[in-house]
Amino acid sequence: MPQPVVRAQDLLVGYGGAPVCAPVTFTLQPGRALALVGSNGSGKSTVLRAVIGLLEPAGGKLTVLGAAVDERTVEFRSAVSSVLDDDAYFPSLSVAEHLYLVARGHGVLDAWDRVDELLDEFGLVDHAAALPVSLSSGQRRRLLLAAGFARPRSLLVLDEPEQRLDRRMLSALTDRLVAEKAAGGAVLMASHDPELVRAVADRALHLDDQRNEMLSAADAAARIARIPA
Amino acid sequence: MTSDPVVPAVSPGEVGDLPTARSIRRFTAAAGKARAGASLTSLLGDVYYAVISAAIGAAVAFGVAQQVRTSLPPAPQVAPPTSLSLPALVAVVLLAAAGVLVSLAGRLGPVGAGGAESAWWLQLPVERRGLLRPAARRLPVVGAVAGAAVVALLDAGLLGDVGGRTLRAAGAGAVVAALLVLLATVVQSSGVPRRRVALVGDVVLGLSAALAVALALAGTHLAALPVAPWPVLVVGLLVVAGLAWLVDGRLDSMPARSLREGGSVATQAMGAVVSLDSRELGRALTAGSSRPVRRWVSRFHGVRGPATALVAADLAQLRRSPRHLVQLVVAALVPWLATVVPQLANVPGVLVAVLVAGGIASSAAAEGARAGEMNPILDRMLPLGAKTVRRLRMAVPGVAMLAWSLAAFGALGRWAGDVGPWLLLAALGTPVWAAATVRAAYRPGPNWSKPLVSTPFGALPTGVTTVVSRGPDLVVLCLLPTWIALILRHVTPTFLVLQLAGAAIAFAIGSSIATGTLMDRMFEASGGRPGGAPGGTAAAGGR
Repeated sequence: MPQPVVRAQDLLVGYGGAPVCAPVTFTLQPGRALALVGSNGSGKSTVLRAVIGLLEPAGGKLTVLGAAVDERTVEFRSAVSSVLDDDAYFPSLSVAEHLYLVARGHGVLDAWDRVDELLDEFGLVDHAAALPVSLSSGQRRRLLLAAGFARPRSLLVLDEPEQRLDRRMLSALTDRLVAEKAAGGAVLMASHDPELVRAVADRALHLDDQRNEMLSAADAAARIARIPA
Repeated sequence: MTSDPVVPAVSPGEVGDLPTARSIRRFTAAAGKARAGASLTSLLGDVYYAVISAAIGAAVAFGVAQQVRTSLPPAPQVAPPTSLSLPALVAVVLLAAAGVLVSLAGRLGPVGAGGAESAWWLQLPVERRGLLRPAARRLPVVGAVAGAAVVALLDAGLLGDVGGRTLRAAGAGAVVAALLVLLATVVQSSGVPRRRVALVGDVVLGLSAALAVALALAGTHLAALPVAPWPVLVVGLLVVAGLAWLVDGRLDSMPARSLREGGSVATQAMGAVVSLDSRELGRALTAGSSRPVRRWVSRFHGVRGPATALVAADLAQLRRSPRHLVQLVVAALVPWLATVVPQLANVPGVLVAVLVAGGIASSAAAEGARAGEMNPILDRMLPLGAKTVRRLRMAVPGVAMLAWSLAAFGALGRWAGDVGPWLLLAALGTPVWAAATVRAAYRPGPNWSKPLVSTPFGALPTGVTTVVSRGPDLVVLCLLPTWIALILRHVTPTFLVLQLAGAAIAFAIGSSIATGTLMDRMFEASGGRPGGAPGGTAAAGGR
């Protein structure tokens, strides 16, 4: 059995010592995807922030690639790619330059070629030279997602990747994430989209402040679909 | 992570050596410069303009300082039993300034990475030190410049003539300020929370006020304030360099969450400074340094309806902000201090002290109103009219300013020789302060599209000055009877009656929900095109 990419044992996360959900336990193997589902405020994003080292766990054990989470190490940053809901950009860098910065910053040799491919895949070719401020919120979301794929990674952490995407883009992203798993990458994502969860995730962890529950992707998708819009 | 090199499972292409942090910084800067479109001529023009502006500003400031210095009466041969010498006052002010600096250093965090840097740089597997080095230098340098300026102005304005001594004092101010900022950075990089460092600064500020009172009551006389000799400054500079080196060594180990928090606060604060928005600055400096979770939940036992709910919420906000409570106490002591320093215990000195201290206290009491302005939904949550909300928002500032006024004007009464009438005048003037507090808190954002007016101090944006003056205008105009009484050092029944009228006018203006200027409203009433602040005379949150 390969070493888990993420292992959380009775992980407690929260702010100011107050946990936002019940203790979280899960393992994520290479080539697998785990979805975190639950209502607003159930702690999905908070768990993700702990996994990528932006939040100190309040208790329990959390390891990424066999070691305690420490985002300060070069190894961690080389292995973990995350796309949160950050909406901040360098005001003078174009879309293509942002992607190049990420690819080249991670040592990708033919970075411009990779950038061209990503621009095409994420429907940003016509905006390659545009500054992010001139993009729509959906296009900026595509840029963030493209940046997540512009670099090498063993773990991809996504916080509600479906946000602000049209159906076509969401379908392309779904295919991309399935391919990510097939290539051996692990995917940990929070989502409210039943189709995305059903198509990508192998399992889903339903978060709640009383009790967390591990579900099959199909059951999780059905549960999400039952939540009134 | 394991010590073995990790081979990423998925890669967009072949991976080679990692770039250096400097090359990442250079790439980002070069792309920015390429798009800025600035020619060498325009760059030189900007530098020239900045240098000239700074030189004019410094000349004006030192001119005013010298004017103050020459107009100060000489120190008395025999000091009164309860008094504070000017050098002792300066020492206390410097201690207070050190407290403010430490508090700011705590609130801004050890080192900050702005939004874009956090999102795009911090995930890169390059050494963090190289990316953060310029940001780490910024705060100590800004602190040093501010420290030098404050000390030089105090020295030139209150203690001695401009010359070698002032230069040395400025140097000492710069070294101490940089030292304090770097110490705060070192402490925070060792894991001490930002709010604790900020609290230390607030405590020092409070202690400086207590020290001033103690020195004055004890009649301690400090004839002169020593200035550190050059060798001591050199040693101080070496310590600063050592601390800077220590901080530099810790940049790699600073966690992203701390860098993101610090960067977020710094960006918000910088934006507020550039746009001259003191409310936004207050929010930026308060938000990140307060406890995210309260130890206990207030039961609001006194709440009987929407009106009391609003007042109780405002009161809870003030009570939970130690910085503002310290600010209120310090502001209450300032007028008294002015009356016990023989050289300042004159009409101009006391007047300036009351105005400055009143402004500080008023700003401290406005937390609830500021929150209401930032989130208009807060004002609309309760079944109250917009004007009623404004009036209710005056309640907490009113109580706070009544306490401040009684302390401040009690000291004035003692200075003028008759405490009773001054306390009555203070009570009658309290609604003006409360109304001004609320009016300032609800002012619209600065309108930078209005024309500039040329003044000896440079171009003045009228759309900004009209907005910034909202609130202070009430203090100046509606407290006119108080100011005249202060100038005459005598309170008559006429002044009391007039002050009562002033309070009524201020209350009416403070309750107004119109955001445009009087001129804008006159234009609008005559069918003309309003040229006021965005929103014209729209009633913010009006019903």
